[in-house]
Amino acid sequence: MKRFFAIAVAALANMGSPAFAGDFRLPAFETGKLSNGITVYLMERHDVPLIAVRAVLKAGAVSDRQQAGLANLTGDGLLLGSAKFDKKTVDQTFDFLGARISSVTGTEQSGLVADFARDDAPRLLPIFADILQHPVFDAEEFNKLRARTIDELRQAKESPRNVVQTYYRSMLFGSGAYANPVSGTMSSVAALQRSDLQAFHRAYYRPDNAALIVVGDFKPAAMRQQLESLFGQWRAGGEMPKPAANGKVQADKARVWLVNKSDAVETTFLFGGAGIARNDPDYVPLQVLNTILGGRFTSWLNDELRVNSGLTYGARSEFSTLSQTGTFAVSSFTATPKTEAALALAASTYQRLWDKGIDAATLESAKAYVKGQYPPRFETSQQLAGLLADMYVNQVGREQIDNFTRDVDSLTPERARQLVDKHFPRDKLQMVLIGKADAIRGIAGKYGDMTELDITASGFAPASPK
Amino acid sequence: MKWKTLLASGCLLYGMAAAAQAVTAEQVKTFTLPNGMKFLVLENTTIPNANMYTFWKVGSRNEVPGITGLSHFFEHMMFNGSKKYGPKQFDRTMEANGGSNNAYTNSDVTVYQDWFPATSLPVIFDLESDRIANLAIDPKMVESERGVVLSERSTGLENSNFRALLQQVQAAAFSAHPYSWPVIGHESDIKAWTQADLRRYFDVYYAPNNAVAVIVGDVKADAVQRLAEQYFAGIPKRELPPAVRTVEPEQKGERRVFVQKESASSANLVVAFKSPATNSADYYALDVLQSILTGGKTSRLYKALVDTRLATDVGAFSGRNFDPGLVSFYSVAARDVPAAKLEQAMLAELDKVAREGVTADELQKVKNQKLLNFYRAQETINGKAAQLGEYEVFFGDYKKLFDAPDAYRKLSAADIQAAAAKYFKKSQRTVGVLASRED
Repeated sequence: MKRFFAIAVAALANMGSPAFAGDFRLPAFETGKLSNGITVYLMERHDVPLIAVRAVLKAGAVSDRQQAGLANLTGDGLLLGSAKFDKKTVDQTFDFLGARISSVTGTEQSGLVADFARDDAPRLLPIFADILQHPVFDAEEFNKLRARTIDELRQAKESPRNVVQTYYRSMLFGSGAYANPVSGTMSSVAALQRSDLQAFHRAYYRPDNAALIVVGDFKPAAMRQQLESLFGQWRAGGEMPKPAANGKVQADKARVWLVNKSDAVETTFLFGGAGIARNDPDYVPLQVLNTILGGRFTSWLNDELRVNSGLTYGARSEFSTLSQTGTFAVSSFTATPKTEAALALAASTYQRLWDKGIDAATLESAKAYVKGQYPPRFETSQQLAGLLADMYVNQVGREQIDNFTRDVDSLTPERARQLVDKHFPRDKLQMVLIGKADAIRGIAGKYGDMTELDITASGFAPASPK
Repeated sequence: MKWKTLLASGCLLYGMAAAAQAVTAEQVKTFTLPNGMKFLVLENTTIPNANMYTFWKVGSRNEVPGITGLSHFFEHMMFNGSKKYGPKQFDRTMEANGGSNNAYTNSDVTVYQDWFPATSLPVIFDLESDRIANLAIDPKMVESERGVVLSERSTGLENSNFRALLQQVQAAAFSAHPYSWPVIGHESDIKAWTQADLRRYFDVYYAPNNAVAVIVGDVKADAVQRLAEQYFAGIPKRELPPAVRTVEPEQKGERRVFVQKESASSANLVVAFKSPATNSADYYALDVLQSILTGGKTSRLYKALVDTRLATDVGAFSGRNFDPGLVSFYSVAARDVPAAKLEQAMLAELDKVAREGVTADELQKVKNQKLLNFYRAQETINGKAAQLGEYEVFFGDYKKLFDAPDAYRKLSAADIQAAAAKYFKKSQRTVGVLASRED
């Protein structure tokens, strides 16, 4: 535990003394570094005798380059075991103790997540540490994993809801790295080799690119010592690949991607454009504004498309944030014959942001809603570990969480107007439709330059990019 | 976001297996109003929030042909206006007070869930009591809600092969009992039910003495009781709903169904066996058996089907039922694996566990898993509310939740084998296959 030092110890834990609804604060935690530079976050909680552990690396689908799905398969490959703990041992030990372990890969992060009983930490943490640092990607197991991943990619396309966001991201970012589908494509995954996983692991799984997060029922001094002994010898090999720009949203003109699913009975749709980065100073107020447009049951979109017209079971909108930028989308689905009406109503409802604007009463309601729904988002150790991982990867300071109430409360209708103009894409909208192309082609074409795709094809982009 | 979600049946079964407990029976306070409405309250200050889960003993098992799906539709109508709070006002008022809500209906119960800052409890009680006492069934809202539910039905079938297949398996497995139709109902019934059908449903099933409310969170039990008396005590008690008459006749042989879906890229398989009501003595043995077969990468079906590349996924599914129901096992075939080959491998494993039983290690593993799942459920106020309500409704007493550790601990390998032998019989199963083409 030498050179492990606490940089920040928060003021208020949420245990014991009930706070007011508007007063939520992150529970106390400490951050520091092990002797080899790996960042550590420790957050004690003693409600239940469980520990959540997360190892997070700043590498994800954006690091795949031409090999879509490589980060994801590398993450899954960790679970195939190390020289010391083979796959069977990993599976049996975790399963027998009622523990869980899985890999998590996203656009910009990779890692392992586990949770287990407090008393099992001495048995399970060494396995967690070893497969993270020294995976062997056993050849036979690798072949099985790759084959299953390809099957799952094909199966995902049976459900438009599963894949519509992936098409949208691909459309918005084009050749930028942010377009990479996290799980890859059927053909890109088929081309991946064990040696690719080994090279990816060597390049990105290293202490100067990683954080360890432990939340739950443990004693900090003992945990620091255990982490140092299990992770302190980890060494980086060579230079880290330089961080690159991951691309910008392309929205110079209105475009439509029409994805044919020949047996579809409904149309799944999504439209929007550029959004904001995760650490944008306007992140919190935009959550409030999006709540009004499409972030709760009484939101404008759900009220119009569902409650007033019965066109759909649900309509919503969302900012999806990334570390360098982000996207925004309105989304819903409707029976094929109602596609025209639902798209028109979604489009006109969206324009209310500018046509009519946000009134003071609705703004106050949304502020109360966002504050009231905030605490349950960080109730479990797993949720808190996930939040700390996001903060590490996206360079988000804890002030964004601690100032949450202040930032919500200070939002005025005038400021709301400015934020709408600044951040919501008003025109040149980008649209993805998944449905029966023959039935909706004419409607889709009205919304921009159209490109047709088929859902059964490998990948999430047209065969020959325009 | 999932709003007013339909669950085909049941929730995750959170069990537990050892003495250590985060919550004890003594911490749960209960009271029953003179009109028969029962409340369970558990104080918890971890976050400044609370919830209210109201369980109504009505679901699709209370329907008859012509009004299939009405229980679920009624759940939607409960959000569409009452005397004090007209159309849209329930949601608007709750959200303006920092709360959100959802609800689900399955074959046996309808459950309404509110999540809110604890300080908003009086508003929540005002909203809930108004709709229970004075629901208005506005014909205009009925019409737009039909469209919503038709969309909910079709989006489920569009996006889930499993849902499309399970509906047909249930239809084949039950020839008489209402468990044979889908909770969401038949399309023709959704389009046809009348104002009178809805009125009658409310009058018969939404009696306060047919409900149990659970409140967990940053509240004081005595304050909850005072508020409950203020808001709910004036709702008159009514006769309890009539019992469901139909008893499913004994199944006399294996049944099979096939569902064609063009976009299926590989076969989906369900094997469903008749199972007892949830309050049966065999409940825990069957629960453990499902985990031994499908819980995690060391489970039997995972090893036999996924590790061998016959399937990409396996699982088990069973609802909580007042009447005998189904325990279903499913798998999704790997590409180009014929359904028949997958079925043969799956049935071989099910037969084997009935014939040869389980090992002491397997049993201990599952007991350990139940204990940790118990703690995981206890991490949230919602997990606690769901556990308490489900035990009160399906096992007849929330205190039985606290007997569960003993029930799991007492199970022997012989008990598990006996349950497998009793229920995994060919004559009691229904096999369903979904694929892009019928062979």
